[in-house]
Amino acid sequence: MTLPFYQALTADVTALSAQLPLAADNLQDIRRSALERFKAIGLPTLKTEEWRFTNIQRYLKEFPYELQQTPVAVSADTVAAAAIPGLDCYRAVLVNGHLQTELSELPAGKGIIIGALSAHTTAPGFTTWFNEQPHLAEAVLAQLNTALFADGLYIELAANTVLDKPLHLVNVYTSNSPAFVQPRHLWILNRSAAATIIESTVHPDSQAVTFANSVLETVVMDNAELWHYNVQLGAANFREVHTTATHQHKDSRYHHFNFTLPSTPFTRNNLSVALKGSHTETNLKGFYLANQHQHVDNHTFMDHIMPDCYSNELYKGVLLDNANAVFTGKILVHQEAQKTNAFQQNNNLLLGDKADINSQPQLEIYADDVKCSHGFTAGQFSEESMFYLRSRGIGEDAAKALMVNAFSHDITSEVNVPELQQQLQAQIAGIMNN
Amino acid sequence: MINSNEIIDDIANKEYEFGFSTDIEMEIAPPGLNEDIIRFISAKKNEPEWLLEWRLKGFAAFKKMEFPKWQHFKMPELNLQAVSYYAAPRKKKQLNSLDEVDPELLATFEKLGIPLNEQKALAGVAVDAVFDSVSVATTFKTKLKEMGVIFCSFGEAVQEYPDLVKKYLGSVVPHTDNIFAALNSAVFSDGSFVYIPKGVRCPMELSTYFRINAQNTGQFERTLIIADDNSYVSYLEGCTAPMRDENQLHAAVVELVALEQAEIKYSTVQNWYPGDKDGKGGIYNFVTKRGICKGAGSKISWTQVETGSAITWKYPSVILQGDYSEGEFYSVAVVRNRQIADTGTKIHHIGKGTKSRIISKGISAGHGDNSYRGLVAVGPRAENARNFTQCDSLLIGNQCGSHTFPYIESRNKTAMIEHEATTSKIGEDQIFYLNQRGIDTEKAVALIVNGYVKEVLNQLPMEFAVEAQKLLSITLEGSVG
Repeated sequence: MTLPFYQALTADVTALSAQLPLAADNLQDIRRSALERFKAIGLPTLKTEEWRFTNIQRYLKEFPYELQQTPVAVSADTVAAAAIPGLDCYRAVLVNGHLQTELSELPAGKGIIIGALSAHTTAPGFTTWFNEQPHLAEAVLAQLNTALFADGLYIELAANTVLDKPLHLVNVYTSNSPAFVQPRHLWILNRSAAATIIESTVHPDSQAVTFANSVLETVVMDNAELWHYNVQLGAANFREVHTTATHQHKDSRYHHFNFTLPSTPFTRNNLSVALKGSHTETNLKGFYLANQHQHVDNHTFMDHIMPDCYSNELYKGVLLDNANAVFTGKILVHQEAQKTNAFQQNNNLLLGDKADINSQPQLEIYADDVKCSHGFTAGQFSEESMFYLRSRGIGEDAAKALMVNAFSHDITSEVNVPELQQQLQAQIAGIMNN
Repeated sequence: MINSNEIIDDIANKEYEFGFSTDIEMEIAPPGLNEDIIRFISAKKNEPEWLLEWRLKGFAAFKKMEFPKWQHFKMPELNLQAVSYYAAPRKKKQLNSLDEVDPELLATFEKLGIPLNEQKALAGVAVDAVFDSVSVATTFKTKLKEMGVIFCSFGEAVQEYPDLVKKYLGSVVPHTDNIFAALNSAVFSDGSFVYIPKGVRCPMELSTYFRINAQNTGQFERTLIIADDNSYVSYLEGCTAPMRDENQLHAAVVELVALEQAEIKYSTVQNWYPGDKDGKGGIYNFVTKRGICKGAGSKISWTQVETGSAITWKYPSVILQGDYSEGEFYSVAVVRNRQIADTGTKIHHIGKGTKSRIISKGISAGHGDNSYRGLVAVGPRAENARNFTQCDSLLIGNQCGSHTFPYIESRNKTAMIEHEATTSKIGEDQIFYLNQRGIDTEKAVALIVNGYVKEVLNQLPMEFAVEAQKLLSITLEGSVG
């Protein structure tokens, strides 16, 4: 292995983490075993089934990434660029995974704990749930994150606590030299708690290339409800592996929305949901619009461990220019998970001459009393619809933009924050009109 | 109404109906796999030098390969050195009529219901019966010969039509394709060879009954079908095997070549011994089947009904190279007890305007595990390629598994690809509806299953469709979800 930073990883974890901010934390054992696990699995190659169509090594080799970053000052203007117009919300600003309280506007009140993850490593929520999601053990980059993460955002809502306004989490990635950043978040919604969290990314284009390998664990306890939006706008000198691992308990609702828009060249989203209780509802929605040489890989895993649960997954994509998309959707229904309803759909519009799509919608089912289905399509605008619009005096480009707007409507219309919905629709239209 | 569990138990405990074994003097090669054995087989069959070399190349490729690890089942331990790679019925002299065929052999065929004798000829089926690797009788040959159709054993083709064999052997499934194809290339015993000349529509369904007999003899058939320009052929393959305690490996290779405007229809009804209710014994069916639509406007259609084998592991594929060529795959796979099926298809769209259609119906019962694994790949040149895939699964009982692993890769923006998959069980309301109308549960299930697989069975030639339906009812009748 010739990756510059990989050599550092083969060193002893104690020596390695001594260079990192959390040298003295109480996670040495977890970190050590995660690093061992990472080394045992090894970096994915194109022969690794889960990474067949995504050559991560190509992007890791691009620059001599540094694991350790020197803090860079971030101005309020940089953060303001990510603001959602007209939205009244709380704000948490993280620079390379480190919470910046002076730039943030954090919710406060009874039952709300929010702060840097490093400050909460002894909290009961942390000790119970950190690194507990069963799928993380198999996710090699998540293991790397566990071993070497620096910091992130810790949120815990006490039972019956409802966040009155959405929380906007602004991830700023910035560095003066190529950096490999590993933020780690843990969000816990206790019984009957509810929250809406919007995650977005800012990467000032003038800065050096940053590779973010972030891991977010969310725990949605009994009857709790979480709406999580991840908006990936990115920049040309940004690469991202975004892992979201969720635990859902009985009667809970979890809604995850992922929007990937230009122009991060490399995006890999790992999303996995493990059910710990019955009667849950899970909605996984994704929309990707990629142009130029963008590579967007959405890897989802819906693990139906418990009976009587419902899940609905819909990912739609529009590929322009030479864009390249991968979708892997796995639904696993265990033998005990009777009365499962699980749906999955992946639709793609290939508009670029060199655009391509690789899709693997998988069903693995061990229970008989279930309703499961998946669907996949790849194609073009229907000629009739285009003709209809053209015959009414709408130019070709405008007609295409209109059609993409309609195509994305299935996802954007489900967004329950109107301001965000409007912004997304405007962004999609903006890209199409260019 | 019969208790559903009882019915399931009843089905699960059902002994294999066609379990029997014929005692016939065999000429068997000593077990083991090495170059000497390959030379022995080649010499035994009086093969030309180039074929021996080709076999040895296959063996060299085999030695370099490893068993795959991606399959969705636990790979059984295969001791390829314990297998005997050659077994032939002793009588090899030219036979003029069926009277000269070993009576015991004929009795075996009788039991299998092969219409080998002249009376059965009225059914319009020409049979090239492969009994442990070597063809012993062929009917209808004369009639086919008149039309220029070549339908003979592979060994015969090597002797009589070496140019054709040399030209097409390994052109669709190269000896380096996969480990089982490499093994087959090295040690293939015999098989069938079909050549349909230009502009000929083969007047009858060609059919071969494969049968594994001698203990510890893996079968390595090689089938090669070539349909020249503007020709048509429908080929049927059916299988039964005697009951055995030891696992038997079957690693055949089937190659289809369709030239301009030609059409090949290949149907399989497979009923090999699936092993007992604990999964002991049974055939491992690791077959490489692939067809190439070489010429423009050609068509290849695979239809398979899989009810037997301990493990069925095959992906009949089509390479759509010619412009406007067409590929089809229709499949019914039934698993029960501890049976495993990991099957599906691969369709490569290379030429312009190519079309493909995949209909896969899986039925899982008992502890069976059924996977659909398929690839639809559209290359950059395949303008306006069109694919439709549907894979449905039916689950009967809560111990079984049903999985779909489709791979879809599109490199052309004008391609239209659709894929859908559903999984469900036989609804209680459906059973209730039929019960209400005086149809007992057992019949109701048969009716529902029948309706479920009808789309595929409709693709089979009539005689085969009847057999397939019978097989399905033996396998599943009365299983209530």
